[in-house]
Amino acid sequence: MDPFINDLIVYWPQLLAGLERTLILMVIVSLTGLAGGVCVFYLTLVKSSILHKWTEAYISFFIGTPLLVHLFLMYYGLPQLGIRLSALTVAVIGFTLNVSAYNARYLATAYNGLDKEELEAARAQGFKHSETFRLIILPQVMRLSVPSLTNQVIQNLKDTSVAFLIQYHDLFAQIQEIASSNFHFFKAYMTAALVYLALVSIVVLAARRFERFISLPGFETH
Amino acid sequence: MTFPDIMIILARGAGYTILVTIASVSAGLAAGLFLSVLGTLRWKAVSFFLGAYTYVFRSIPVLVLLFLVFFGLPGLGIRISPFVSIVLTLGLISGAYLAEIFRGAMAGVGQDEILAAEASGMNRMQVFLYIIFPQMFRMSIPGMINEFTTVLKYTPFAYTVGIPEIMKEAMSLAVMTLRGLEIYLALGIIYFIIYRLFVMLFMTLEKKYRIPGLAPE
Amino acid sequence: MALIQVRNLVKKFDGRDVLKGVSIDLYKGQAKVLMGTSGCGKSTLLRCLNLLVQPTSGQVIFKGEDITLPGVDVRKVRGEIGFVFQHFALYRHLTVEENVTLGLRKIKKIKSREASEKASYELNRVGMFEHRNKYPAQLSGGQKQRAAIVRALAMDPDVLFLDEPTSALDPQMSREVVTVINRLFLDNITMFCVTHDAFLAKYISDSIVFMDDGVIVAEDIAERLFYESADPRIKQFFMSVADHR
Repeated sequence: MDPFINDLIVYWPQLLAGLERTLILMVIVSLTGLAGGVCVFYLTLVKSSILHKWTEAYISFFIGTPLLVHLFLMYYGLPQLGIRLSALTVAVIGFTLNVSAYNARYLATAYNGLDKEELEAARAQGFKHSETFRLIILPQVMRLSVPSLTNQVIQNLKDTSVAFLIQYHDLFAQIQEIASSNFHFFKAYMTAALVYLALVSIVVLAARRFERFISLPGFETH
Repeated sequence: MTFPDIMIILARGAGYTILVTIASVSAGLAAGLFLSVLGTLRWKAVSFFLGAYTYVFRSIPVLVLLFLVFFGLPGLGIRISPFVSIVLTLGLISGAYLAEIFRGAMAGVGQDEILAAEASGMNRMQVFLYIIFPQMFRMSIPGMINEFTTVLKYTPFAYTVGIPEIMKEAMSLAVMTLRGLEIYLALGIIYFIIYRLFVMLFMTLEKKYRIPGLAPE
Repeated sequence: MALIQVRNLVKKFDGRDVLKGVSIDLYKGQAKVLMGTSGCGKSTLLRCLNLLVQPTSGQVIFKGEDITLPGVDVRKVRGEIGFVFQHFALYRHLTVEENVTLGLRKIKKIKSREASEKASYELNRVGMFEHRNKYPAQLSGGQKQRAAIVRALAMDPDVLFLDEPTSALDPQMSREVVTVINRLFLDNITMFCVTHDAFLAKYISDSIVFMDDGVIVAEDIAERLFYESADPRIKQFFMSVADHR
């Protein structure tokens, strides 16, 4: 048998553990990022101009700066203040801040395309701001943004590979370890690429089903 | 060492960051344009290849592809410099995204206008050069700005293959001074400044050359 | 010899006969209008004549050469036929002047400066000179169509094809365009125009060809066809057209 395949089998438990960490990180940040995105999007709609400006600045800053910098800032910078966070905690916080900014931007874009008369109608009927948001705005913009939001999940999956740079032992970190023990770098990274390709494909298929599941007449996203 | 001192020291590495970004985006633009032009041929084998290309390079994480290129290819006897590795990696990936952006914009080019150009006696090359490309390019501007931003944000990975851009400068400085907090904060601010400057530059250019009725969404 | 001779032209789309053996002659200096009900095949006929649509069988003889034969330089033929579209089809990314000069520079290989002089001259003739630096989105429908006519004419074509040039316009703008085409008619520009618009047809034609269900039913001067035809199809058509006005 090819010695590399043999190594894969020997290191199988480690690889599985890495895969698990990759998936855990992806799932957590996809959920927190969605929740955060909705919150930030809500803040963009608030009339207060100061809050509005700060929200815009937040979105712009996290869209304009690398995730890796935020991770390093927390993982290697915060201990200077005596705050030591685990790699997973840092990754979850960093990703959530980033992904929320992107998701908020997608939702805001969908909101701009909304029929504003509907919102007036809701207010005329006597709905409060928060009710209009929850019952009228959110269900529509969420549906319209499904392709962007699911793309973001795929992006999250791929970006989890960054976390190994702050010592998070995800799938990519485990594959690296195998590579540095047997020096089959090409095969190792090729394996990593194929695994990510397979994972992304699963997410893509799931996303397609989900899109069909929630589609309404007039909200077809394809 | 005050915070401004840190900013100044780091800003010196910004040249490499900008160089890597511009080289990668240029490679990506070339690849994306080439692919979208190929796509207009509508050959079965070609469209299969295009589909596969965009699917694969939009599915593999940047870091994995970068390591495959820089640490993996030497195993096959192919040695590539760090700079070429990062540019190739980001170029291949952003090329896949840009091809999609161009393809979408291409669909917005007026069919009437293409027909009119054909009726006036233009050949396919002329129709592409004078009608399709100029319209497609303008309508791709927002997508191109997004892609540029994405590439800029992936350039810190260049440190992993040893390119002395700002991320690497920041790391060495952090190791020497043990003041990671300020240093990485300054680093974030510098990236943000580069990002804002480029966005402002693109927006100014876009406004200057904007054509009524052809504004991108 | 006629500039364009169409002989027994047939066009099938998905097994349906759109043109069922059309023959027609267009002489130099002549202006013909092609009328008929929607879907009778008149736009298809026009598009077959410059091979934007490939006919199924039959001949199109342009300046003595059958252009349906393989090996014909289609682009050269198209360059010698001006085409004006219903929805103007101005290039959105170019100004009015650039719309006119693009073909001059790239197809006729005329120098930029001469092309721009020619464009200015032609635009001036239809009252579009002052709009030469505007983009299509900044023009009214009538102005767009006048610019499109100039774009076609500036190439000095042997013949000008017009496909429903007024039907996307409101009556006021339509007048503007009829006036321009009428002037071309008086200048003896060779024209072949497809239209629904009886007003346009009357003012720009030497004769009118009436088509129904893929065949030519009649050809005559406007007055006789409009008021004296005994054919019930033609009577009905002009009654319905009159209703629209």
